[in-house]
Amino acid sequence: MPRLAIAEVFVQNAKVATTADALRASLLQSCEAMGVRYFALTHHINFNHDGGPAVRLHNYPPSWEEWFDQNELGRSDPIHRACHKASFGFPWAAVPDMIKLTPDDRCVLDRAYLVGIGEGFTIPASIPGEILGSCSFAVDAGQPFPEEFHYVCQLVGGFAFEAARRLSGVRDMSIDHAAILTDRQRDCVLWAARGKTDWEIAVILGVSHETVIQHLKHARERYGVQKRAMLAVRALFDGLISFSDILKH
Amino acid sequence: MVLLIDSSTGSISDVAFRSMFAARKSVFIDLLKWDLPVLEGRYEIDQFDDAHARYLIITDLDHQHLASARLLPTTRPHILDSIFPALCEGEPPQGPAVWEITRFCLDRRLRSAERRQVRDQLVTALAAHALETGIDTYTGVAEMGWLQQILSFGWDCRAIGEPLRSGGSLLGALEITITPNTPVELAAGGVWSPLSIHEMPARSAVNA
Repeated sequence: MPRLAIAEVFVQNAKVATTADALRASLLQSCEAMGVRYFALTHHINFNHDGGPAVRLHNYPPSWEEWFDQNELGRSDPIHRACHKASFGFPWAAVPDMIKLTPDDRCVLDRAYLVGIGEGFTIPASIPGEILGSCSFAVDAGQPFPEEFHYVCQLVGGFAFEAARRLSGVRDMSIDHAAILTDRQRDCVLWAARGKTDWEIAVILGVSHETVIQHLKHARERYGVQKRAMLAVRALFDGLISFSDILKH
Repeated sequence: MVLLIDSSTGSISDVAFRSMFAARKSVFIDLLKWDLPVLEGRYEIDQFDDAHARYLIITDLDHQHLASARLLPTTRPHILDSIFPALCEGEPPQGPAVWEITRFCLDRRLRSAERRQVRDQLVTALAAHALETGIDTYTGVAEMGWLQQILSFGWDCRAIGEPLRSGGSLLGALEITITPNTPVELAAGGVWSPLSIHEMPARSAVNA
């Protein structure tokens, strides 16, 4: 089958898939056509703790999932972290050039190899305002990854993640994430994120010191967080403020 | 408001037009570092900005640019067939009812919460424009991060070739099918956000 046709067949199947099992079957079919053993489609959260709708679909050995969850790797897994540095797919061999690997990270990669997961290719799937996710493909340990399929993986992974979002109801969640801060609260949070004190923010915005304290207090209450730093992080995550907002000053 | 501008539109949209070309320079040349021509040091205008192009522009009440997209007829030279034919597995889709979306541009002055809102309004305006004027297919070239967002809108789209590396980015070509069901699909994706009819003065000017 020509390479693009593999992606086309997958997209057609994914579009009409109404269950996770149907999507899994389509992914397995694509893997087989590309000569790839494993796929893993997942949001980067800790499935043991974090609630809410999230996507996880894979055919890694069950022992791997168990160990992965026990060690709460959903967010800290080196491949998942590397996704923060990539806007399109990357081979796992490139990860040491993308992020600094700690001894624990090397342990994770070694462990994966031991359970039989060899070279891989990961497609980051980031939708603004949502938890980061990814779709990975991997071959058996010791096998070479068919590099000519990297960009087909890119397409299949991208469409797979979208289909999984639709099936899991993640997409409906994002609509509720409308701005929960007032414009004035947001302004205060932005300046706080830029490292300004309450007094400095008051001078910048031309309001009283007390007003700034109140705005930030209400903003923390709306998010249910205690600390200034956490408030900035939550506002970043929701897209109320952006990295470029903070860093361009 | 949504402005639809083509060669039949008069001078009422001059402010919007200029602020769109300035915003395009700010986004595509200053921010994304695309290698594009600049006019008068302020405007990004290329060989496709001619009498055959159409523009959908979302503006504020002062006609200042918030977001815009350029539509090119595929019956004439356009980006996919002139610059990136290698992104298509076969021949680039072409015909009177096939238009190419290019220069999808969100103003850099928008705050992130507004960006999402304005982006949705522009996507909605594109779908509505297609339904009103008999366009059944949009094509487009997108960088991968943006392509993932386009997929997440919920409308019917497919890849028409393998992505290719271009400079530091990975580009892919897409085909989007517009049907009477598209508004429902976009609504399910949380994107559909039409601006009311009386907010579209230029549209009636064009149709007059």
